[in-house]
Amino acid sequence: MNKNDRHAFVSQLLVYTLVMICFTGSIGLGTVWLRNQIAQTANSVKSFENRTAEVERRLAETTTLIAAEQSPDELIRRNAEWRLGLAAPDFRTQIIRISENPEERLAAKRNREIFANAPTAKPVKFVMGGTR
Amino acid sequence: MSKGFASNYRIVVLAVGIFLCFGGVGVRLLFLHVIDRDQLVRYIDKARRQVTEEKARRGDILDARGNVLATSHTLVVVGVDPQVLRKEDESKWPELASLLDLPLAELKKTLSTKTRPTQAEDDTSDDDHDIRWAKLSEDVTENTFEKITALGVKGVYGERTYRRAYPHNQLAAHVIGYVNKEGAPAAGIEHYADFYLRGQDGWRESEKDGRQRELAQFRTREVPATDGYSVKLSIDSAIQHIVECELDDIVKKFSPEKATIIVSDPKSGFILALANYPSFNLNEYGKASMASQRNIAVADMYEPGSTFKIVASSGALNEGLVSPESPRFDCSIDKIDYKGKTRGLPREDHHFTAPLNTAEIISRSSNRGAAQLAMLLGEERFYGYARAFGFGQLTGFPVGGEIDGQMAAPAKWDGLTITRMPMGQSVAATPIQMHMAMGVIASGGLLMRPQIIREVRDAKGELVYSFDGVARSRAITERTAETMAFLLSRATLTGGTGVEAAIPNYQVAGKTGTTQKLVPVTDAKGRTVLRYSDREHVASFVGFFPASRPQIAISVIVDGADARAPNGIAYGGAVAAPSFKRIGEQLIQYRDIKPVTEPNQSLLVMGGGKL
Repeated sequence: MNKNDRHAFVSQLLVYTLVMICFTGSIGLGTVWLRNQIAQTANSVKSFENRTAEVERRLAETTTLIAAEQSPDELIRRNAEWRLGLAAPDFRTQIIRISENPEERLAAKRNREIFANAPTAKPVKFVMGGTR
Repeated sequence: MSKGFASNYRIVVLAVGIFLCFGGVGVRLLFLHVIDRDQLVRYIDKARRQVTEEKARRGDILDARGNVLATSHTLVVVGVDPQVLRKEDESKWPELASLLDLPLAELKKTLSTKTRPTQAEDDTSDDDHDIRWAKLSEDVTENTFEKITALGVKGVYGERTYRRAYPHNQLAAHVIGYVNKEGAPAAGIEHYADFYLRGQDGWRESEKDGRQRELAQFRTREVPATDGYSVKLSIDSAIQHIVECELDDIVKKFSPEKATIIVSDPKSGFILALANYPSFNLNEYGKASMASQRNIAVADMYEPGSTFKIVASSGALNEGLVSPESPRFDCSIDKIDYKGKTRGLPREDHHFTAPLNTAEIISRSSNRGAAQLAMLLGEERFYGYARAFGFGQLTGFPVGGEIDGQMAAPAKWDGLTITRMPMGQSVAATPIQMHMAMGVIASGGLLMRPQIIREVRDAKGELVYSFDGVARSRAITERTAETMAFLLSRATLTGGTGVEAAIPNYQVAGKTGTTQKLVPVTDAKGRTVLRYSDREHVASFVGFFPASRPQIAISVIVDGADARAPNGIAYGGAVAAPSFKRIGEQLIQYRDIKPVTEPNQSLLVMGGGKL
């Protein structure tokens, strides 16, 4: 091998080495970038998980507060505080049990309401056999 | 080949340099990844690996209508590291005290105390220990903690923890039970249904950085937590509230030692309400005495008194030994011959001049009549019926530490037991036993198991288990049960002992009980013996309605109400029966219970509306 050939070989080796370094470096940087992306995604997932957990915590807290507000004692207190005047119907005076058929009774009531305000019909005069 | 652009010398030096560098890196990598690998991996594992526990959420306890009786929520335990407090944050202390609901002086004292004296016996040094954590409050809500965090006081930290909350406070306290601060279920449904409620904790394996933060990208294995199931009870919070209000009224009126009210659906055995006095607030269980935490409906026993007469009369009717109208028994006699021996009959509260038939024995609560009915049955058969009604054995009620009462077998009876047990002496029962015994008549002769859990649902609301009524055994025939229901309904009519329990337009069946309590007294020889007291009684009324189509069974048992009872004696008819009536009237509205008697076709209308 002459001197020029040696130079060319070494130069090519150098170029290939530099290309290899660049390639390896690129792979390395790519790997780092990929890992960084994985880390970011994982952190993002973790952040969503934390957010979900926080929402669930607040939901549980709100559920507890609602349940406490719905307790009979609290409802009675609110009724008095806001002067709503809500009370159970009096068993003896306000509830009437009737024995007749409820459907017929309601139908009769409805009919009374309908016909109470209806205009009185004019009597029709019939003339037997022909002309009016 | 073209001529190279670099000199030989430079190329060789550069190449050698590059190869040396690569060689160095390679050797280092060889050491790191091959030779020292095990050691380094162990070190990293120790330093960076972490296993995080993921707590499962404990399931809710719901009432029959889905109202939350017990739930889990997070609270924040807020503490401080006094070593890292900053001077410039002192201006924020008043606001911090306000958020923590602490007196400012107390907060200042906690924040300013930076050391604590050495307490260990073997520690002889005079140095005090630095305080790195002092608790400020352990029940801070998420909203409040957010405000505390926003204050930015350095050194104030919070640690989240699941806590059990009972939104209805004392409602159904003895049934629900509680979970203590260590997270251990201590009583009630919380304890009994812990297997369903507690769920399964999860875990996650990952790595952490130098500041102990999780590196999410290095998560390797993860087992998610499985939240606990929700348990739906048969308890209806509205009925429970009615019952507890009634108990409050009893306490205000009579100041009893203790009292209990049980409401159930007799056909299925499901308990709709169960309340005791004394009771306690579930959210403040630490302040409650042991006596107030006792579920006396299942864990206390008493002599049931006249309510026990249903056993002898049902037995005699079931065996065909008597009918409601015949024969008639002379209840004015105080002695009777039985199995060749003369037996003394118990005292009567009322004097009966004319002989009584079975119907009258029940309605007028004759002790001697009940004794004669039991004698007709004989010891063995009477004892068999008492067992068939559930006495002397556990009912199977799941919470409260149930006891089985006391009822001796006939072999251990003395000569008087056959005359005393039929009137409810010489036998001890729990209130739930007496309630379920009355349920035998209401359910058509079946002894039902008292049940409290309706359903179990998973965290998504899907049904996992559903429970139905369970009959333990048949005690009497359906026909006998119907006859008994009819006879018991006469006890609430004019002339009966339970007239105060009568509800207009409704057939109410029930039995009063006025039991003398056994109290210790000193006899002539100086010994302490138990004697029946004339001044201390247990008043009770156990019944159901409508008598011919039972929908609700109610037991009211009041112990030690004599002091403020009319005439100083707590009669069941005067103390317990009115409560039965008041509860029954409210349940008629709440559950829309229609009367069985005329009018048959009924319609509820408001009095204000005109039809």
